[in-house]
Amino acid sequence: MKFGIFFELSTPRPFSREVEWQVYHNALEQCRLADELGFDHVWAVEHHFLEEYSHSSAPEVFLAAVAAQTQRIRIGHGAVVCVPEMNHPVRVAERAAALDIISNGRLEVGTARSSTWTELGGFGVNPDDTKKTWDEFVRVLPKMWTQEEFSWHGKGFSMPSRNVLPKPYQDPHPPLWVTVTTPGTELDAADRGLGCLGVSSAGYEEQERRTREYHRRVQVCEPAGGFINDQVHTMNFLYCHEDYRKARRVGLPMVNSFNIANTHLYWTREAYPTRAYQTLGNAGAHMKPKKPAVDDPSVVKGLPEGVGIGDPEHLIQTIKKWESIGVTGINFLLNAMEMIPQQQVKDSMKLFAREVMPKFHRPAQIDEAVFTPSGTAAAGR
Amino acid sequence: MTRLFLHRVERRLRGDNMLVGCADIDELQKHAGTIPRFASEPIVFEDTTCFQLGVELDNSAREALLPSGLHPTIPASMVVQVFNVRQSIWGAFLLAVTRVSCRSGVRARGFTLGAKVTTAGARKGLESTLGLSAGLADIELQETYAQTRVGVALSGIQILEVQALDPEPLSTSDLQFTGTLNLANTPKGLRLVQVETVPQLSRVERLQSSFSAFHGESWGSPLLQPRQVIASTISRGDFLMPPIRFVCKPDELAFTGTESVT
Repeated sequence: MKFGIFFELSTPRPFSREVEWQVYHNALEQCRLADELGFDHVWAVEHHFLEEYSHSSAPEVFLAAVAAQTQRIRIGHGAVVCVPEMNHPVRVAERAAALDIISNGRLEVGTARSSTWTELGGFGVNPDDTKKTWDEFVRVLPKMWTQEEFSWHGKGFSMPSRNVLPKPYQDPHPPLWVTVTTPGTELDAADRGLGCLGVSSAGYEEQERRTREYHRRVQVCEPAGGFINDQVHTMNFLYCHEDYRKARRVGLPMVNSFNIANTHLYWTREAYPTRAYQTLGNAGAHMKPKKPAVDDPSVVKGLPEGVGIGDPEHLIQTIKKWESIGVTGINFLLNAMEMIPQQQVKDSMKLFAREVMPKFHRPAQIDEAVFTPSGTAAAGR
Repeated sequence: MTRLFLHRVERRLRGDNMLVGCADIDELQKHAGTIPRFASEPIVFEDTTCFQLGVELDNSAREALLPSGLHPTIPASMVVQVFNVRQSIWGAFLLAVTRVSCRSGVRARGFTLGAKVTTAGARKGLESTLGLSAGLADIELQETYAQTRVGVALSGIQILEVQALDPEPLSTSDLQFTGTLNLANTPKGLRLVQVETVPQLSRVERLQSSFSAFHGESWGSPLLQPRQVIASTISRGDFLMPPIRFVCKPDELAFTGTESVT
């Protein structure tokens, strides 16, 4: 089981230059602490125009600062929006390679296609095309990273032969992931040998189904890249405190605040009728709470099932449950709209690292190899 | 605009970070319908054609068009619906509605700002069952294989006109109808009446639309100013509206302000 921290860089109203500065710098401090405490990953999303919910529109810049301020933790570019109107694939390949070099080969690259009309409409993207361009991106990025002469004639973009530079530090290239919100995307990930990066808080039952299907399909995949990345990570929230009542009092408003800001976005499914968007992005998962069994420890303590809010013992039990259904990593949102004071966020991280993390894994060491893919090498490379 | 400015200043001073509406509820109530008692039978629009168009609004309207119990979407947007109902308990009629896209709690909804209907019988029935307050107007929904034209005229003046071209077939499951909130005087007081729509569609097409006329004031507010058209569709089938189950207080968030009518 691996543990990561996950940043939307959500920002409270009223907006000001100072508030955004504080959000970014608090996040950087949390990254430095996570690096010291033994967390495995730090992920930063790419979103545009999503007021309150996410002010993380240039994650590669934020992550370059993380890379410069940390030694060990892996850097998750999660996820790059793979539509040409927002990011030309050459620029994605170039930026990722540079980030991999800067971080000494610590980069993970997540891919996505955006699920809001707020973003797609802002860039004039046709929602019918995003799945197609995402598929094209995940197939060309490994080629750009490994071939000295790359040319392409495709649907989303075309280009004559060029050497896309620099090449990433990791050989053959950084692990590739897909963000998974819509049911079925886990199969797209599996078919291409890409890691499954959950960004919506699905319940145990739904996640177990997705994970089982993913592992079944990835066995027979044709990898889009140079190797198979067969990891399944989910997104969760974290607020850990010795007293579960305090954890509940502080942590749950953070979860609710995040979910409400999420629902203010204008989902593509709602705005633009298309076969390409069949669910309301990650709002769908929040809107379908599952009733847990009455003897579930979450119920006894008044905590939502499966969420990383509680005392250390509760979190150990919760994570064991996630582990038992095949999840290989959990990425935690530590705060939302700065509702939890920074010192309390840091105390929560420290308590989690001290009491919970050792039950599951040994933190990666600074002198470990920068990249050890868990999958098999792709044939023909 | 002064009201919106004061609303933002007040919220900033309170440290309130939730985006909610700031429309004057007393003003909205002047145009609210009345439901004398909640009906127990569903309403069905049979053999109906529905033209639906989503359009982004000028963002200055984002909070100003909604009561304080509702959250706006980002960006502000409106859905125009025009129904050609060939059969119903009120006979055949045409109905045109403008709804501001919003959230009631975490649920996607459309808040009705204006409605027009072609017959007095449908007007009376829609108000007493769904709380929909509609004025009488001339409404057209003309279809050919190549294009659709929608027009609404009030006293001979065109207050809505849309041309829609190049129909492209979609699956019936590709189209979503969000629930509607009608502000109405109900047995529980002034409430947002939650109207669900359950379509049973046989055909859906997406079209390229453009406005040639739209008069915001006739639809409830001069702030209703269409900007970028998002998408439009034409669909055919039956539209069932189950009996009202929930209403919300217009000045309280749905988390605490939702009431069952039973």
